[in-house]
Order: sequence, then structure tokens, then C-alpha cells
Amino acid sequence: MRTTCAIMQRELLSLFCSPIGYIVLAGFWLVTGAMAVFNADAFGPGKPATLRDIFMWTPFVLTIIIPAMSMRTISEEYRSGTFETLMTAPVSDGQVVLGKFLATLVFYGMMIAGTLIYPILMEVFGNPDWGEVLALYVGLILLGVTFTAFSMFASSLTRDQAVAWILGAMPLMLLVLSVYNLARVLEGWQREVIQQVNIMGRFSAFARGQLATDDVVFFLASAALFLFLTVKVVESRRWR
Amino acid sequence: MIEVRNLSKYFGSRCAVNGISFTVEPDTIVGFLGPNGAGKTTAIRILTGYMPPTSGTAKVAGYDVFAESLAVRRVVGYLPESNPLYPEMRVREYLHFRGKLRGMDRPQRAAAIARVVERCWLNEAIDRPIGQLSKGYRQRVGLADALLHSPKVLILDEPTVGLDPSQVRETRSLLRELAMDHPILFSSHTLSEVQAICHRILIIHEGRIIASGTVDELTSQLSDQRRVCAEIKGPQQEVVGAVQKLDGVVGVNATPDGSWTRLNITARGNVPGAVADLALARGWAVRELRQETASLEDFFVKAIVDARK
Repeated sequence: MRTTCAIMQRELLSLFCSPIGYIVLAGFWLVTGAMAVFNADAFGPGKPATLRDIFMWTPFVLTIIIPAMSMRTISEEYRSGTFETLMTAPVSDGQVVLGKFLATLVFYGMMIAGTLIYPILMEVFGNPDWGEVLALYVGLILLGVTFTAFSMFASSLTRDQAVAWILGAMPLMLLVLSVYNLARVLEGWQREVIQQVNIMGRFSAFARGQLATDDVVFFLASAALFLFLTVKVVESRRWR
Repeated sequence: MIEVRNLSKYFGSRCAVNGISFTVEPDTIVGFLGPNGAGKTTAIRILTGYMPPTSGTAKVAGYDVFAESLAVRRVVGYLPESNPLYPEMRVREYLHFRGKLRGMDRPQRAAAIARVVERCWLNEAIDRPIGQLSKGYRQRVGLADALLHSPKVLILDEPTVGLDPSQVRETRSLLRELAMDHPILFSSHTLSEVQAICHRILIIHEGRIIASGTVDELTSQLSDQRRVCAEIKGPQQEVVGAVQKLDGVVGVNATPDGSWTRLNITARGNVPGAVADLALARGWAVRELRQETASLEDFFVKAIVDARK
């Protein structure tokens, strides 16, 4: 426990010491702010007091932002050689991966917390449905959990941060956008299948205030899968 | 403290370590000597639990490096080859982090950090970011980390590479001091270093240990033939003829230098004494007479040449 905490603390410290952390924060807040200001459906006089329109495209934004947050987690340890000092200390591979994962999530949580300004403003000027707001934030956190696990898996595959970002962001972007568009044109059983991995669709259910078990299980299970794979990749130096 | 039996490591079909065996006794410094790429780092990485061997066993302080990897990592202090550190952390932060990884609580860490900072002369650097430190200071940070948990065994991979001469000297004296309480296994490709501080030497080449022993044992294994250089003033043919007849002279190679004759003698036994007596008896002047003693370097080069055959 203490070891995992130590790794988490160190990881957070280096996130705050690198420009990437701040660029990511600024970028996310800027895009979300732009959505709030320029999207006529949000914060318009007489419009419903809902966050849905501000966060509509957030899953897509996060496919760029989260891989940038997590790209250095493991690949930087490979590149600088600190992976060796870390792995010759009495810590298990799982503790290392978990510590880094939690650190990235804490950072992500702070980023998301910054957007709480919008529901607060809505409360000031209108009458938002707080149940819906809560569901939306649960959705955002679940999205973060899954994307972070996947991006860390990408980071564990290479010693180059830029490559780690591409390996993380490209599949996520493709998944989010192409599945979203396919789900609108396909029909019948094909649509049924593609809906299972429709991240935009699942997220919009949260944004509408729907907390469904299958959505929660989908995000948590895929996160668990990629964390497991990350541990296996980190372990692979032992049998390669 | 370290017991290695028939250890091998293959990367694919490439053999990095080929069936090595050795032991390191308590309170000794053992030098792991070999040219670059000989397998030193791989062997050390196996001993520190970073990667498992393909075959064979290794025990450190009684724990098996494969089956009890975490226990081994708890008792070993390890300084990897390139001494990787986190540049964004301050020295104190880094040492606290490493202490936490080793499960030390705050008072334990504070005491341990005070001890290693004293020992590794890190006082001035303790609150500076590691990225701003000189190479010498970083090396000390690495050493301080390796000593933090009072390890039972110290394993250092090329601890003096890239240091300037005075830092090298400091590090060596620190190692000698440390060897009083911990056995040390350290690798190097610099002979003079190994010769200066090690009790025992293992020479590794292409994954195999080709020689081991103390410096004296190794140099005495070299052939007992010595090279003697002499410059004598006298008629060349007469000089060469007389020297060749001396006891213990195996071969003479003469080159004239004005009225002097320069002799390169391959010899056994006390040939310089005999040459001096001869010159004195014949009334020849002598301006140089010296015997070259075999060095560890000769041994090293010879061992590697022999291994190639």
C-alpha cells in the first residue's frame, strides 16, 4: 500500500513538473470553455439547464488529452533507465502499474473538477437537474478510467513518448469517431454489435442522466483488461 | 553472500552469460572485470532480480534470485550502470521516495537519509534538483540510494565511469570504507581500478569466467618469463654473445644505438644481476638496466587472447 502510494506521489510530482501536465490542463479547459461559449444550445437564454451540450464532444477531446497525460508514465521509465532502479527495488510490477494509474487518474480528476464551474454557473442562473449532473460526472470519470488504462498500455509498449501518444490516441480516436458514425448508418444485428463498443453512445447515456449497469461494467471491465495487459507487458522483460 | 552456480542467460539465440559460477565471501570486494559486452551487466541484472536467468541458480544472502526475487531486492543495494535518476526530483525527495519503496517509515527514512548523505558527501546537494547536479554528484546520489536501507550486499555496475580523476579517487576510497561492513561486487572495464581496490577479481569474457583469483595469484599465473631491457657500451657482437651465454637468458634481440647496444632480453630468474656482473667484469658501461614485471594488464590481455583461440 505504502509502495503504491509512493509511486503515485512521485508520478504526480513529475506530472506537475513537466510542461505536458499544464498544456493538457489548459487545452482541456480551453476546449470545454469554447464549447460552453460558442455552442448556442448551452447557456442560451431559455435553453434547458443541462451540461449535455458542453460535454457532447468530450469523449473525442479526451482521446487526444488522456494519451498525452499518460504517454510518459511507463515509456519515460524505459527511456531514462529508471525502470531498472524501480524494478530492482522490492516492488511488484502490479504495484508500479497501479501507482502510476492512480496518479494519472488523480490528475484527470483535478482536470475534470475544473469544469464544475459550469454546473455551479447553471445553479446560479437556472435550475439544473443535479441527478443528471452527477450521472454525467460519473460518466466522465469512467471514461477517464478506461482511456487512462488503454493509454498506459500504449505507453508500456514503447520507450518513445511520441510513439506512446500515437499508439494511445489513434485507436481511441478511430474507435470513438468511426463507431459513432457506423452506429448511425448500420442496421440490424450489425448495429447491435457495434453499439456495444459505441463509447459516444454510452457516454451520452450518462449525459442524459442514465446510470446503467452495463455501461459501468463496460468501462470498468475494459479498464481492468488494459491494466492487466500493461502489467503483463511490464512483466514480459522476464520471459523475453 | 553471493553464490552463483552455472548461470546462463540467452537473449533469443544470443548467449550473454554462459554457465558462470562464483562466490563472493562476506567483507570482500570482488571486481568483475571484462571488456565491454562481455556479459557483466547481464550477470549483475540477474543477481539483482531485474531479469531471471535462462538456466542455473544464483543466491544472494541466502535467497534465490528467481524464487525469492523480492527478498533479494530487499537486501541488495544496487547501482545500475548508467545510474538512472529522476531529473525533476530533488535529492531529498528522491531518497525519501526510494525509502518508501523499501517500506521504511518517516523516522527510519530521516535517520537513513542523514546517514547516507553524510557518508556520500551529499550535504550541499541535498535540496537541489537532480537534473542540475554534476555527474559526480549524481553518482553519489545513486550510491546513497544503494546504501539507504543498509543492504547486506552491494552490487555496483561500473561505479566510476564518467567521473573525473579526483571523483574516481573519492569513490574508490568510499568503496574501500564500505567494504568493511558489506561485501561488494562491482564491475569495471578499467584494470587499474580493479587492481586498486579489489580483494578478488573475476575476469569475464564472452559470457564466461576465464580467470579468477587475487591480483597476485593472477599475475603469477602468467608465464614466469620476464622482459629485461639493457643498454651497454661495448663491441656489439661480443656483448650479445656474452649475454646469450648467461644463465636464464632465453633470447636476445640487439639493436645498435651509436656506440651503445640496446638489448631486449627474454629471461627467467635474476638476469639483471647477471648482466650487471658481466658488464662490470668486462669493463663495459651500462646506462640502462631494468626488468619489466608482469602486470594485471598483461594477464588480462593474455587471458582474452587465449580465450579467443
